[in-house]
Amino acid sequence: MTGYTSVHDGRLHVHVYPTHQFQTQHLQLKLVMPLESEGLTSTAMLPYLWMEGTETFPSALALMQRTDELYGVALRAGIAKRADRHIAEVYAGVPGETALSTNGVFEEAQRLAFDVATKPYRVDGKFPDKHVTREKGLHRRRIESLFDDKIAWAMDRCMKSVYAGERFGLPRLGHLDDVEAVTSETLVAAHERLLSEAQAHLYMVGAWSDAERVAADALAALRRALPSSRASETGPIKALEVRSGEIRRVTDEQPVRQGKLNLAFRTGISLPDVDYPALMVYNGILGGFPHSKLFVNVREKASLAYYASSRLDGLTGVLAVQTGIEVAQVERAESIILEQVQAMKDGRISEDELNYTKRGMRNQYLQANDQPMSLVDLHFAGVLAGKERSLPDTVAAIEAVHLEDVVRVAQQVQLDTVYFLRSEVTSHA
Amino acid sequence: MREHEYSRFRQKLYTEQLDNGLTVCLLPKPGFEQVFATFSTHYGSIDSVFRLSGEPDYVSVPEGIAHFLEHKMFESPQGDVFNDFARGGATANAYTSYDQTTYLFSSTENVDENLRVLLDFVQEPYFTDASIEKEKGIISQELRMYEDDPDRRSLSELLQAMYSEHPVRIDIGGTVESIQGINRDLLMRCYQTFYHPANMLLLVVGGFDPEHVLDLVRENQSGKSFAPARTIDRYYPDEPPEVAKAKSEVGLSVSQPRCLVGWKDAKTGLRGRELLHQELLTAVVLDVLFGRSSSTYQEWVDEGLIDQQFGWEYEVTPTYGFSLVGGNTTSPDALVSRINEALDKAAEAGLAEADFERCRKKTLGRFVASLDSPYYIAHSYSSYAFKDVDLFDTAEVLESLTLAQANERLRSHFVASQQTVSVITPIGARA
Repeated sequence: MTGYTSVHDGRLHVHVYPTHQFQTQHLQLKLVMPLESEGLTSTAMLPYLWMEGTETFPSALALMQRTDELYGVALRAGIAKRADRHIAEVYAGVPGETALSTNGVFEEAQRLAFDVATKPYRVDGKFPDKHVTREKGLHRRRIESLFDDKIAWAMDRCMKSVYAGERFGLPRLGHLDDVEAVTSETLVAAHERLLSEAQAHLYMVGAWSDAERVAADALAALRRALPSSRASETGPIKALEVRSGEIRRVTDEQPVRQGKLNLAFRTGISLPDVDYPALMVYNGILGGFPHSKLFVNVREKASLAYYASSRLDGLTGVLAVQTGIEVAQVERAESIILEQVQAMKDGRISEDELNYTKRGMRNQYLQANDQPMSLVDLHFAGVLAGKERSLPDTVAAIEAVHLEDVVRVAQQVQLDTVYFLRSEVTSHA
Repeated sequence: MREHEYSRFRQKLYTEQLDNGLTVCLLPKPGFEQVFATFSTHYGSIDSVFRLSGEPDYVSVPEGIAHFLEHKMFESPQGDVFNDFARGGATANAYTSYDQTTYLFSSTENVDENLRVLLDFVQEPYFTDASIEKEKGIISQELRMYEDDPDRRSLSELLQAMYSEHPVRIDIGGTVESIQGINRDLLMRCYQTFYHPANMLLLVVGGFDPEHVLDLVRENQSGKSFAPARTIDRYYPDEPPEVAKAKSEVGLSVSQPRCLVGWKDAKTGLRGRELLHQELLTAVVLDVLFGRSSSTYQEWVDEGLIDQQFGWEYEVTPTYGFSLVGGNTTSPDALVSRINEALDKAAEAGLAEADFERCRKKTLGRFVASLDSPYYIAHSYSSYAFKDVDLFDTAEVLESLTLAQANERLRSHFVASQQTVSVITPIGARA
């Protein structure tokens, strides 16, 4: 097992993971900004606008044709949101040069990825109207089509309630109503701010024999691409605090065949906390696996659902349960879910549940070694939380969790929102 | 044990057919933590009318039974098989396609134990009436979930409009109504017909020692007895070249209309390298015409006709083949006519050599990149194996394609009478 070689200069960071396990080389540039309502929609649109062309390849067509010529380099850009951070990302996946009997492709792909973010096509400093108009149309549809995936939509709506009034709650893609007002000027302002203020993290995973030299070269290239300036103030991400007050209930009606019931909980515990490994195990026992309480009780015993699971956001400490059910069964499903949460609080957890969960989690973490982008995600979550924990350390921390630790964190799990997406109630006049 | 080296991909393959007929394929990937194993039967949702050689009559089973059987296999006399995998720290799953059912696990530890669990539970059917009834509730919710999903729904509607006879027109899981007719005898009949080792393939990929794994499998299998293998007669009705209907339309709670245009292959029956050749050739043609690096795609985005969800697919097996193009659109009618105009123009002028070469190069690169994924290898290797295709021939076959073949395929595949359209129209209020 190898690890990261990291170097940095002010706000610029390079993380190189040398490994000969993969034939493909991966590169990802992440530009991290605070999530703010000011300029939110313009910032959200930017990475997609970058893909409209670079100085060298000045249209989406020219850029895509270039990636084809580089043996189908997978070049993507998009906007991500982690807790209260907005992250513009550019990714390049470069197929193995040995199998393709070629070389120099990675260097070309790296240049292309940098150019996408730092030298997008502009005329006299402005993004051309044609690109802006096209991207505004696409962005509108990008936001609208979130509605089409009901599982994801229900989760979004549930989280919106949890984060109501918090910066965490600003939408990743920005606001539909704000797209109209986006102009080349607002985009240029967002672009220049992003390039000069963002914390930049460049990840590289691939078969390099001299990681230190690769990292130093990449840092130099990053310095040229992002000349230094004032970095925005962003400390480590803090978990969402447990709140007092009523449980929030939100219901939407749509003409759907299946209802979606989501329950969100605040825990106040996140990645840097000593209790975080115990909370991960808690989540695993409750709903992370097919042997978990939710799957066994909602699906296998009550036959109410096909999926019933929980997941944990390690940065905000919010745990969410999701399931798809017959609308008429909502009360029964909710009470079975809450019984499981109560069982966790009461310590009604079997040896098998605890041990199977810890083994399952160990397996998931060890498998991350086989998935380059999982390695990146795990490391980056640590960067954002201000606590980088290596994979072996995480595995050891999970191993050390005892039943009483799980029961202790269970007392902190507090229901925040019950969300239900249901079919329309037909009114009989 | 036969050993074959694909030096270009730094990959070795070990194969053996055991005495009971089971095919074992081992693809070690040194350096990988995980072992990914799939145990597959050449049996899917389209195998709904069949008999074993020697049996007098064909039996016709309810729609969705292959998928139902896949769910029920996870029940054992000791309880839920998921617990056995959890004990060994493995992630387990299964899936059913039109022509294949696959059980799988991946784990980084206790690999021997997990392999035995995989082999044993798939070779030991155990169903109770009560649990069969319970499963109907679970699967009904799975099917309801798909009914709300525009991707699944538009494809399902397209295939129903395209095929009048072939069972690929039926959803893999059947319907909430059709699964009500499933019972223990029918499940057992399907099991006994299709789960004989001679109709199955075990594939292991990842970090392991092939000698050791093969010994384990041999030992496990020699401890079990099976009836002699019999030939399976699968009945597929004759499918006319023309589509069943030219258009289908359904309403769904979505933000914008969606439109798929599909073409049925009139000629079927390909296997082996010929099938792979047709698959890759058609994929390159579709990519030249409608991929992200085509001027067609970029123009339609410019016009606002489509968005980035637009795409194409081609699927081919020995008994059916179809392509499709489409996605979200502001105007399904306009999209259909623009697609047909683009095809007419291309058929007349032929594809440009530069476009053809560029897309071929990309397809080759993407194939090489995908070999880093044990999941991809396990899934596609076994799926191809049932069609007598060697996954690792992909690069060579891609390199053998010619522009003339591409133009011939372009002109013969996109035929008006073999074309159908599936439209999803938004209903209800938007958010």
